[in-house]
Amino acid sequence: MKQNFVYFLPELVLIVTILAMVVADFVAGAKSKIYPLLGTIGLVAMMFAACAVSKQPPAHFFSGMVTFDRMALFFKYVFGAAGILGIILSARSPEVEKADQPSYYALTVALVLGMMLLSMSNNLLMVYLALEMVSVLSYILTGSARGVRRSSEASLKYVIYGGVASGIMAYGISLLYGMTGTLNLGEIAVFLKTHAVSRPALFTSIVLMMGGFGYKIASFPFHMWCPDVYEGAPTPFTALLSVGPKAAGFAILIRFFILALTQPSETGQFVSIKAVGWPQMMSGLAIATMTIGNLAALAQKNLKRLLAYSSIAHAGYMLMGFAALNQESLTAILFYLVVYLIMNIGAFLVVILVSNQLGTEDVDGFKGLCHRGSLGMFLSLAMTLFLLSLTGIPPMAGFIGKFYLFGAVVRAGLYGLAIAGVLNSVVSLYYYIRIVKAMFFDQPADHRAIQMPILTQSCTLSLLAILTLYLGLFWDSLAQLAAKSTGLLF
Amino acid sequence: MLFILFDVEVVFLYPWAVLFRDFVGAGWGLFVFIEMLVFLGILTIGLVYVYGRRALHWE
Repeated sequence: MKQNFVYFLPELVLIVTILAMVVADFVAGAKSKIYPLLGTIGLVAMMFAACAVSKQPPAHFFSGMVTFDRMALFFKYVFGAAGILGIILSARSPEVEKADQPSYYALTVALVLGMMLLSMSNNLLMVYLALEMVSVLSYILTGSARGVRRSSEASLKYVIYGGVASGIMAYGISLLYGMTGTLNLGEIAVFLKTHAVSRPALFTSIVLMMGGFGYKIASFPFHMWCPDVYEGAPTPFTALLSVGPKAAGFAILIRFFILALTQPSETGQFVSIKAVGWPQMMSGLAIATMTIGNLAALAQKNLKRLLAYSSIAHAGYMLMGFAALNQESLTAILFYLVVYLIMNIGAFLVVILVSNQLGTEDVDGFKGLCHRGSLGMFLSLAMTLFLLSLTGIPPMAGFIGKFYLFGAVVRAGLYGLAIAGVLNSVVSLYYYIRIVKAMFFDQPADHRAIQMPILTQSCTLSLLAILTLYLGLFWDSLAQLAAKSTGLLF
Repeated sequence: MLFILFDVEVVFLYPWAVLFRDFVGAGWGLFVFIEMLVFLGILTIGLVYVYGRRALHWE
C-alpha cells in the first residue's frame, strides 16, 4: 500500500505545490509576484522527485490504473521542462497580466499534473479522466485573459470542439469495454488475442477512440480547433499548449495502441491484433495531417496561426513515425518530441518578445528585425535557428529528429509515406523562409531599437537556441535516453 | 457548480464509510482514516478559497 505512494511521489509534489499556491492566494493576495516562482520551484522539485523514484522497478500501481515505467518517467521530465518553460514565458507577459495570476500559475502546474497522469494511464477510465483533466484545464487557460474577446472566443470554440471529441472517445471506450469486458489495457490485449471478436466492431471502436486522441494531437480530421485556439489564447500559454498536451496525446496514443492492440511478431515490428488494419488508417491520417498542415500554413499572415498549422504538420510527421510501428519509430517519436519542445517554444518566445514590443503578430511586424538594434539582430538569428530547425535543415536538431523519423519509416518499408513526408518538408520550407526573408531582407517600418526584455527570458532564449544547435551536432545522449525510454510495461 | 463538487465529495465518502469497519479489522484503520482526512482537507482548502474569494456571497 505504501509502495503506491512511493511511485506517486512526483505527482504528490505537484499536488502540494498547487495547494501551496491556493493558500498563498490568501496570504499574499492576487497581485503578488511569487506565483511564477512557486510554480517553478514545484516543477523543479517534481523533476528531482522523478529522479529519486527512477531507481524503482517498473510496476502498475493504484490497482492497475496507472503505470510506472520508462516511458512514463521520460514524459515526466518532458512535461516538467515544458511547464517550467511555460511559466518562464508567462512571467510579466502583458497578456498574462490580464489573467488572474494565482489561478493561472496554479492551473498551469495542474495541467502538468494532468499530462503526467495521462502518460501513466493503464486503464481506459483513467485515460478518459486524465484526458478530460488536460482538456478542461486547457479550456480555462485559453480563456484566462479577461476582457480580451479573442481569448474568450477561442476558449468557447475549444470547449465545444473538445466536448464533442471527448464524447466520441467515450463512446469508443464503451464499445471496447462491451466487447472485452475489461478496461485494463493489458487485459484487453490478452482478451483480444485469445477470443474471437467482431472485427468491424473493433475497428469502429478504434476509429472512435482515435477521435479523442486525434483531437488532442490535432491531427486530421480533428485539427479545426487548432488555429483559432492558438491565435486567441495568450501567447505564453499557446507555447505551452503547442508542446505539452500534444506530447501527452502522443504518450497515450503510443501506450494505448501498442499495449492494447498489437501483438509482437518475429521481425520486431508491432503487428495489429487480428489484422484489424489500424496501421493503414494511421498512415492515411499522417499523410492527410501533414499535407493539410503545410498547405494551410502557406497562406497564413498571422504568426500564431502559422505556427499552429506548422504544429499540425509536425503532429503529422510524428504520426508518420508512429505508423511505422517498430522500436526505432518509438525512439524517433520520443526524440522528436523533445526537439520539437525546444524549437517550438523558442519560436513562440521570439514571437512573444517581438509582439510585446511592436504590438503585432503578423509576419509584417518582423520586417527588418535585424536592423532594429543589437537585440533585434539577436532575435532574428535565434528565430532563423528555430525556423530552420522546424524545417529540418542540418545542422539543427530538427534535422536529426526528422532523420530518425524517416529512417524508421523507411526501415518499415513504407516508402510512399516517406516520400509524402519529404515533399511536405520541402513545402514547409517556403513559409518558414518567408519569415527569415522578412527579418533580413525587408526594411522595417521604423528603426526603433527593440528594448531589452527581462533577463530570464533572454537567457532562456539563448539556452534554447544553443540547445537547438547542440542537439543538432551531439544528439547521441538524447537518442540513447529515448531508446531506453521506449519500455512499456505490459 | 460548487454543489456538484461537494456532492461528489459526499459520494466518495459513502463507499469509504461502508468499508471502513473491514479496514479497521484488517489493521489498516489509521492509514485509511488519515487518507480520507487528506481528501477532505484538500476539498476544505478549496472551500476556504471559495469563501475568501466572495463566491459564496449572495448579493
